[in-house]
Amino acid sequence: MIDIVLTINGERVEASIDPRLSLADFLREKLHLTGTHIGCEHGVCGACTIHLDGVSARSCITLAAACDGHDVKTIEGFEDDSTMSAIRTEFSREHALQCGYCSPGMLMTSYDLVTRFPGLDEADIRREMSGNLCRCTGYQGIVRALQNVYAMNQQQD
Amino acid sequence: MSSTGIGASVPRKEDRRHLHGQSTFVGDLKFPRMLDVAFVRSPVAHALIKTPEIDAEDRARVFTAVDVEAIAPIVADGTIPGYIRTAYPVMARDKANFVGQILAACLGSSRAEAEDVAERVFFDFDELPAIVDALAATDAAAPAIHPELTDNVFHRLELGEDFPDIRASAPVRLTRTYKLARQAIVPLEGRGVVALWDERANQLVVYSSTQSPHLIRNGLAEFLKLDQNRIRVVAPDVGGGFGYKAILHPEELILGFLAYKLKRPLRWLEDRREHLTAGANCREHIYNVTVYGDTQGQLLGLDAEVIVDAGAYSIWPHTCAFDAIQAAGILPGPYQLKNYRVVARTVATNKPPIQAYRAVARPGACFATELTIDALAREVKREAYLVRRENLVPVEAMPYRSVTGKLYDSGDYRQSLDIALGAIDLAGLRAEQQARLADGRPLLGVGFATYTEHTGVSTSVLAWMGTRLMPGHEQAAVRITPDGGVDIRTGVQSHGQGMETTLAQVASDVLGIDVDAIQVTHGDTALTPYSTGTYASRCMIMVGGAVADACDRLIGRMRMAAAHLMQRRPDELVFRDGAFHADAASMSVGEIAHIVYFAPAELPPDMDSAGLEVIGGYRPKTDTGAFAYSTHVAVLEIDRDFATVKLRDYVAVDDCGIQVNPMIVDGQILGGIVQGIGTALYEEVRYDESGQPQASTFADYLVPGCGDVPAIRLFKTETASPFTRFGIKGVGEGGAIAPPAAIVNAVNDALLPFGAEIGEVPASPARILRALQNVGLGPGFVAGGAS
Ligand code: FES
Ligand code: FES
Repeated sequence: MIDIVLTINGERVEASIDPRLSLADFLREKLHLTGTHIGCEHGVCGACTIHLDGVSARSCITLAAACDGHDVKTIEGFEDDSTMSAIRTEFSREHALQCGYCSPGMLMTSYDLVTRFPGLDEADIRREMSGNLCRCTGYQGIVRALQNVYAMNQQQD
Repeated sequence: MSSTGIGASVPRKEDRRHLHGQSTFVGDLKFPRMLDVAFVRSPVAHALIKTPEIDAEDRARVFTAVDVEAIAPIVADGTIPGYIRTAYPVMARDKANFVGQILAACLGSSRAEAEDVAERVFFDFDELPAIVDALAATDAAAPAIHPELTDNVFHRLELGEDFPDIRASAPVRLTRTYKLARQAIVPLEGRGVVALWDERANQLVVYSSTQSPHLIRNGLAEFLKLDQNRIRVVAPDVGGGFGYKAILHPEELILGFLAYKLKRPLRWLEDRREHLTAGANCREHIYNVTVYGDTQGQLLGLDAEVIVDAGAYSIWPHTCAFDAIQAAGILPGPYQLKNYRVVARTVATNKPPIQAYRAVARPGACFATELTIDALAREVKREAYLVRRENLVPVEAMPYRSVTGKLYDSGDYRQSLDIALGAIDLAGLRAEQQARLADGRPLLGVGFATYTEHTGVSTSVLAWMGTRLMPGHEQAAVRITPDGGVDIRTGVQSHGQGMETTLAQVASDVLGIDVDAIQVTHGDTALTPYSTGTYASRCMIMVGGAVADACDRLIGRMRMAAAHLMQRRPDELVFRDGAFHADAASMSVGEIAHIVYFAPAELPPDMDSAGLEVIGGYRPKTDTGAFAYSTHVAVLEIDRDFATVKLRDYVAVDDCGIQVNPMIVDGQILGGIVQGIGTALYEEVRYDESGQPQASTFADYLVPGCGDVPAIRLFKTETASPFTRFGIKGVGEGGAIAPPAAIVNAVNDALLPFGAEIGEVPASPARILRALQNVGLGPGFVAGGAS
């Protein structure tokens, strides 16, 4: 067991954990933050995407132990965030989710794109989102939702 | 009229919880004292199993076949002619029949600890030759997978009359072989089961990521030998199903049994490796087709042989014969065809048991039929869309009885093709194709595919098929709440289809109440009327019909109360916008409900005391099914060096009858198309000669990503089915049917100048290069190849 101290959704968390525990399992099993989903556990599907020090990362292939001293944010940490709120609204409007299993990961990646990479066009969005698999929607609603968010952001600029 | 009824693109009620990370999937459930389960699975495809070695300290937390022998082997029976019953033991005891078959269940306080235990269990085997190829399986010298079967054939079906005159006289005759690779279904959430004993309810409670909770309850009762009321099955949020979660799986029985025996909550969550290996279980068909036509490409006759590679066992309840029965019935497609003969065999191999993936056998059948139409067109040197169009059933012939006896209920198939043609610039594409041929740019291809899809399969059709446990009708419970809202309870399960919204829309349409005041509960056997679940594009037709029927009955009950309260005859009242009206007077559903619940003394003593809750039911009067239909067009480019395919444009023209929620309909079609693109271009679990699956991660099993697909262009027509309430047809599966056909037709269109063609999916670079090699061309094939 090793002891870690980290920030999760703005709160300080102390824990004593098995060194092999993944961040995804730590969040889901120990902290009951089940909004972070698991779709492959080998870093391809993106369902487990969280933000590590403000940048999207895959929690299934990140060891919890390696997050000692770091800042982690999960989908549960965006309740008062206007950017995430806008992305959520567009996801619903454009029917960017069906079963919803991929959605938290999609939102976490989308947020990272929208906040760090302004002015992406459809081709950029398709390329940048290609690390998140969705088996239900065919992606079209997801791409449109992001195009809408980018268009709104452009208007505000 | 409420604006949230049928036809409105109402935003989905289910979105909020998913977008806030607040949904509840099986893996999100926690119970005190819960243990995790990891399975030891067979590492070999075909082998005799020796007695396992288990460490003494692990003995209490490892369960092998002997420990679960009280679970009856799964036997899928039914009255399907030509089908031979076999048994599927939940754990292999003496012989393993596929890689991934369960050998032991191991418990731990976390999945990691359960896997540690699993790693310490040692099984030794005497390996047998594995049957990997369905054609080799039927060889008399092949080893037997089940002693009950002859030549490893689970099921044989023959349909149609011989047509010797056509055979002798048809001016054109072509023979082709088509193959679809074995695939995994890949919902993003794997399966998962949490089972526990509820002492208070005296029930075994099984939470399962399933499409069919009531069906699973039937199965648990049958094979655990428990009374049905000792079992409750709950499907919470389910992360996609596509057929994978529509049947009973051994894990449900094992977890249920062990939780009952140990009186401890147990959890198993399928991981991706388990899914891609033990769950590589669909789409693998072979078609041998001979088509007879005239010099213009008119279809005169079709001779087909279908071979379904069923894997090692027959699944419950639909059996392994489901694919073959469906393929045989729908191969004539949307065409006028008078002469058709088919022999279909469902064959055992040492691979996971086949099950129905979205649209079941239709992607395969459509692939065979549509590639054949194009081959015929090439043979008679005409544009494929023309040959296709002339053979399609014309609108004047509707309803049309197909050569296999199916009643195509309605629709203008030719119009569907015309709209698709109008959506692309075929002349421009043909010119570009020629230019590209000459200048060495990537090749261009255009491919069409048209299909008709049997949706809302109902009682008489299922009885004809002989499948058990699928009654083909449906019930729904609807209650007017005391404040004038509506509770709907249904036994199906919504896992992406948006039925919490669309069923509310149906009630909204009939009752004139806004969907915001309507709640849909589903997926729990304790709370909902019986249902066989969500599959076969049936729910909107069947459950929608049942909800509407229940609402009609409620209006009837409320009418009696309203008439008394408004001092009118019942037939003087008009029900509209959620209220009864007579001249200027009106009384809303809420006002009536308030009196029925809280002031019944105001109603006459002989008033029906059954209250405002009813079970409605639905079985269409003509229950031969509602046939949705569609034309897809793919425009693609093939790289000359690497033979990679890039989709440039994709068009789909759909008619699924009256659309309850067009936004959701589009979503179903788009999602289906992208799964179909996966079948067409990427997805495949190959097996080596010893039966080892060659894909076990998303790095070697390629699911289409956002960047692999173009923006898909959808067009629609709305032809009401004459047979269903509201004229609805099903749409859940259709999108997945045509992409393999349209895309490979486009590939072959691009390869035509070189005289090469393929008849297999996925249309991988290797397969395209092989087709080119067959005509003497290698990578970098150049314009000179064109003649
Ligand atoms: S679960 Fe982490 S990338 Fe798939
Ligand atoms: S909505 Fe189901 S996986 Fe994306």
